[in-house]
Amino acid sequence: MAPVSDSESSLVTTQRLAYTYKRSLGPVLSQFFTALRERRILGVRRPDGSVMVPPREYDPDSGEAISEMVEVSDSGVVKSWAWVHAPRPAQPLPHPFAYALIQLDGADTPLLHVVDAGAEEQMQTGMRVRARWAEPRGGGIGDIAAFEPATGATGE
Amino acid sequence: MAQRAAVIGVGQTHYQARRRDVSMAGLVREAAQRALEDAQCTWKEVDAVVIGKAPDMFEGVMMPELGLADALGGAYKPMLRVHTAGSVGGSTGVVAASLVQGGIHERVLCVAYEKQSESNATWALSISMPFSVATIAGAGGYFAPLVRGYIRRSGAPEDTGVRVAVKDRRNALRNPYAHLRVEDISFEMVANSPMLWDPIRYLETCPSSDGACALVLASESIAERAEKTPAWIHATEMRSEPTQFAGRDQVMPRATLDNAASLYKKAGIQNPRRELDCAEIYVPFSWFEPMWLEGMRIAEPNQGWQMTCEGATAMDGDFPVNMSGGVLSSNPIGASGLIRFAESALQVRGLAGERQVDGARLALGHAYGGGSQYFSTWIVGSQKP
Repeated sequence: MAPVSDSESSLVTTQRLAYTYKRSLGPVLSQFFTALRERRILGVRRPDGSVMVPPREYDPDSGEAISEMVEVSDSGVVKSWAWVHAPRPAQPLPHPFAYALIQLDGADTPLLHVVDAGAEEQMQTGMRVRARWAEPRGGGIGDIAAFEPATGATGE
Repeated sequence: MAQRAAVIGVGQTHYQARRRDVSMAGLVREAAQRALEDAQCTWKEVDAVVIGKAPDMFEGVMMPELGLADALGGAYKPMLRVHTAGSVGGSTGVVAASLVQGGIHERVLCVAYEKQSESNATWALSISMPFSVATIAGAGGYFAPLVRGYIRRSGAPEDTGVRVAVKDRRNALRNPYAHLRVEDISFEMVANSPMLWDPIRYLETCPSSDGACALVLASESIAERAEKTPAWIHATEMRSEPTQFAGRDQVMPRATLDNAASLYKKAGIQNPRRELDCAEIYVPFSWFEPMWLEGMRIAEPNQGWQMTCEGATAMDGDFPVNMSGGVLSSNPIGASGLIRFAESALQVRGLAGERQVDGARLALGHAYGGGSQYFSTWIVGSQKP
């Protein structure tokens, strides 16, 4: 047990717990993460025909099982963003960056990710961005290291 | 006066050691979908969802229900998580029933699950707490001394537990959903299996299972129109007490005796042994059959083992217990209580297949949890209460 300290009149101690768990993703999310390893981004088609990225196994509105995977582009449009001036050690990049909602071409919903824009002045709602893929990739959302400003037409 | 409620749908996954092919969402969905099909009911027709599972630390997912609303068709509907340790499956059924009996909802989907292959229950249950001594006992080590206490006070023969295990494992062979199937099970095989926590042997112990169980509960007017026979809920009851205090009778806790007395009073039952046709009792370690037969006031104090040894609790006895094979044969912990409730419903609906008790009209579903401190029970019948 950790050492006991006397805080005022009541005893206080610390306790550390650790256990390694397993997790199964199921068929839909397994496809999504496997595709990221191959530098492809998959969404899922909802009953109304729209494409949701990242996918879920069941439609959030109707609860219907959804499993038709649709490949979308690895570039898209920033719908909203927030600049991180002083990243903490656990955050995705060591230097200032933007958390952003990015609607990929072919998708109808925005994906939360990171834009590595260099400076806050470079960020703009409606700007186009493209995925920068991590090396090596292991099948996780971090397989997209970040999105970067892309040349080309500004969306909306 | 509570309104009448009934079980109109039952769904189960096939219990097994590992379901790596599905996520937790996929697992609960499978049972829920089957329950809806049995109830001939659509996702839209469900008014509310009640979900139960054992402690979050088992799988290490905090509040897993947060991510399961879509899988259970619970979006934009009332959704409620229940937790009462190992008895949670039973409590989930009781809470769901109360929502119908209270006139709040017409159809409630009730689901309980565990994915033990992605969890470590023994680790989670053995965490040493500061200022205390670590027992590192897990469930078996915790309950073994209680069994010893029961043997001492009742004078039960040492082989009582073996007899329970043989009977439940034989019953499991008739249940297509059961996890453990030991085709050539015998008294010798159980008696010669390794002693894990004296007096509990390996084959007298429950497995670790992945699985989910779901029920659709409905109001009287809907249940009356159901194509398949509903299981009418005659009474539900829950009781709890503190885990540990000096002088507590952990072998035969007051909460179980109070729970049983209140349950039978509500159901209008004078003599449970005679009036009930069968029971699904939460028996994770063999000896808890005679212990809870007494705890449920079905047997006189210190005489539960006689029912076991005389064969009364066998499929061909006068009071069959654990027709499904029980927790000894399938144990997705959070679901295990609801599976007892589900089996009691299947029996009175006449839908229990090869394990059907002929003419079952009134059945008990039972769950206990924690340090023998939570008790959840119901009685269902083929006729309205």
